[in-house]
Amino acid sequence: MLAAFIPGFSQKLFTRDAKIKFSSDTPMEKIEGLNKSGTCVLDAATGKMEWKVLIKGFLFEKALMQEHFNENYMESSKFPNATFSGTVSNLNEVNFGKDGTYNAKVKGKMTIHGVTKDIELPGTIKVGGDNIELNANFGVACADYGIAIPAVVKDNVAKEIKVMVNALLKPMKS
Amino acid sequence: MKKTLLFLLVAGLIGAAYGYYLWNKPHEDMGAAKAAVTLTAAQLLSEYTADETMANSKYLGQTIAVSGQVKESTNENGQVKIMLDAGDENFGVYCALDSAFQHPRKDFSVGENITLKGKCDGINLDVQMSRCVEQK
Repeated sequence: MLAAFIPGFSQKLFTRDAKIKFSSDTPMEKIEGLNKSGTCVLDAATGKMEWKVLIKGFLFEKALMQEHFNENYMESSKFPNATFSGTVSNLNEVNFGKDGTYNAKVKGKMTIHGVTKDIELPGTIKVGGDNIELNANFGVACADYGIAIPAVVKDNVAKEIKVMVNALLKPMKS
Repeated sequence: MKKTLLFLLVAGLIGAAYGYYLWNKPHEDMGAAKAAVTLTAAQLLSEYTADETMANSKYLGQTIAVSGQVKESTNENGQVKIMLDAGDENFGVYCALDSAFQHPRKDFSVGENITLKGKCDGINLDVQMSRCVEQK
């Protein structure tokens, strides 16, 4: 709310270069995927944010991992993107007008593999001049989003995938 | 008996070799990849804006060649991204160069006309392409 009263402060911030990284860690193998072209829009006045990432844009070290990720698990031809739409629920504790790093809680809807879930996540909001950096680390359970892990590879793929997101947002040109 | 054992051994070896080959299968060489279709950035964005499902059925996951004028080019720790102008004020075709490819150049000037070949990842405000290489 404070942002609304600061002259020259653009309330909507945006990036098309958000980094979304995930990893599946098991004693058998480590699988990592990275997409550097996520989009994120934040309205600093209301704390509303929208994230979107294209599944086909995740890159892996091994071609086979990328193939399995797209074809067997995420079915990216059918479900080409993953989204999160939510709101900072402790907006009163975040001062967008003052440089610093704030702990934030974000509540909203996550859609992966065509399945939408209500979730609440912790993260940080770093205010630096006109820019805002968002960071969050969280777990995603494959089963929650209808992603089936075949029995033969159940020791190779983690039941809970670790996800890291990072977005450096800049004021939107209006 | 001996024959069966030998057969099983050979089959097992072939299986293991095939598994090993698959596991280490390299990523597709984008320099040698053939583009399924060549079109302009404006055409691609307008098809996606008109009907995402239809456009995805044609282009998603395909290697395509897209031509257009460079609107912006950035280099973040070696990851070069190029925005191709698609005639829209806000959105375009956003292309990330392939990190596995030896690019003859990584500097692109705003305004020059280029053609990029890469994988179409779908639309996320812009149409996004990954693993792009410049096509002469």
